[in-house]
Amino acid sequence: MAGSSSVMRRVYLALYNWAVFAGWLQVLCLAVKAIKESGYEHVYDAVKKPLLLAQSAAVLEILHGLVGLVRSPITATLPQIASRLYVTWGILWSFPAVQTHLLVSSLVISWCITEIIRYSFFGTKEAVGSAPSWLLWLRYSAFLLLYPTGIVSELGLVYTAMPFMKESGKYCIRMPNIWNFSFDYFYIAVIALGIYAFPTYTAICLGRGRRLCPNPKRTREIPKKIHSPSAAALAAF
Amino acid sequence: MKVTVASRSGKEIIKGGLELADSATVADLQEAIHKRTKKYYPSRQRLTLPLQPGSKEKPIILHYKKSLNDYTDGNASNLTVVFKDLGPQVSYPILFFWEYLGPLIIYPIFYFLPVYQFFGYKGERVIYPVQTYALYAWCFHYFKRIMETFFVHRFSHATSPLSNVFRNCAYYWTFGAYIAYYVNHPLYMPVSDLQMKIGFGLAVVCQIANFYCHILLRNLRGSGSGGYQIPRGFLFNIVTCANYTTEIYQWLGFNIATQTVAGYVFLMVAASIMTNWALAKHRRLKRLFDGKEGRPKYPRRWFSFELYAFVTDHCSSLLSV
Repeated sequence: MAGSSSVMRRVYLALYNWAVFAGWLQVLCLAVKAIKESGYEHVYDAVKKPLLLAQSAAVLEILHGLVGLVRSPITATLPQIASRLYVTWGILWSFPAVQTHLLVSSLVISWCITEIIRYSFFGTKEAVGSAPSWLLWLRYSAFLLLYPTGIVSELGLVYTAMPFMKESGKYCIRMPNIWNFSFDYFYIAVIALGIYAFPTYTAICLGRGRRLCPNPKRTREIPKKIHSPSAAALAAF
Repeated sequence: MKVTVASRSGKEIIKGGLELADSATVADLQEAIHKRTKKYYPSRQRLTLPLQPGSKEKPIILHYKKSLNDYTDGNASNLTVVFKDLGPQVSYPILFFWEYLGPLIIYPIFYFLPVYQFFGYKGERVIYPVQTYALYAWCFHYFKRIMETFFVHRFSHATSPLSNVFRNCAYYWTFGAYIAYYVNHPLYMPVSDLQMKIGFGLAVVCQIANFYCHILLRNLRGSGSGGYQIPRGFLFNIVTCANYTTEIYQWLGFNIATQTVAGYVFLMVAASIMTNWALAKHRRLKRLFDGKEGRPKYPRRWFSFELYAFVTDHCSSLLSV
């Protein structure tokens, strides 16, 4: 692909991916430092600024998909980013009581390693045209461990926050009001727990199976983002 | 003539093919397939003419009323058809009955029975007049729909896939419960008397207009047949799908009177679904009635009476769709 617009696209995407990579690397370093020096209760306090920034930056990826800068379908990236933002802002940032939980450490570390591998993979691909096969291998192998630890941490934190949701009534709209509407944030958590449980099983089995036994026709293509919805979690991982 | 029945992957569904009279219709073919396969009753069968591999055209679907001769091009003694199983089918009246029965039963449950104590609201409930009128309006609406399903509507396709029963019932029943919960809530706040009267007034007028639209549509089709005609008369002179228009405005009236976010959400969703249908029907009628070969030309109309429709229709007529 020649042309200055595609060069600009690659430069922008390379910069984007490496910038966010640096953000997550910083989060990881701060997290490890906090665990060593002060204990797991202080991880959130230490990492919150770069974490909130790096995770929220992922919203740009939805934009990239929408304007066609990248080929991944937004039907795959949107749920993944939405769930990350929900846990980051809707649970962690909103409910200070869960910020000192052990699962915050496992969550942060799982996310950091995942994102560091992922953003370096795409950063390399955009910068030099392709990524080394060991990095691709690392991405899909790390998935096996980090997806479960990530999901367990996310679910655990949602569950831990639930009593505090009920108690504080945060983000709730109560009746009576002139629009005869009510909203209970607690039930969003209930629904979220239900939604998490189902695709996890599907994604792990199907996604991994596809990569282990790839269609030879497919691997000869330039690695694009994965089209199949069954590997959606994998693609965004 | 000999008819070969194959699946889309080329496998023969009926070994050795079928022998049918030259004057046989597609319906006869479907009956013959059903006799041989037992499982695939005619409404489950989708029969098409084979396409060239790699062709991007839409396959020609065999119409049950047509003669088989209409589909053989020259070679009158041999015909190959491609078979697809549409899955278990349900007749439209049955589908509609189950969809509409849910709201008809669920809504009064919230009005009459003490369900709110299970949501944590103990004690006596004050019922405002608007809540009672809403009950009447709602139940009359769904009762009318069931009656129209059995006595008024004439359907273009006989059946719908079974999976639609679950999907459509989920839609109607869930929204029914969602709206019923809020309108009959112990902490419900009514709007002003004037607003209520305007809302229900609009709803009543539109219900009657909607019924009349259905009668006009019914008279377009002879008994037992599908097929399309240009709708005329009453609001159909202005709008292709006046039946959907009146339905949407009837729900608007209900919401003006009851004022719940739940009701307005339902209105948005229902209106967008119906607008999509109206657009498809408008396009289909314009395509069928193109003014050529003695067919009448479809008159310029809005396809449904909302602003979005107005804009799109003008754009499509500019592009000579």
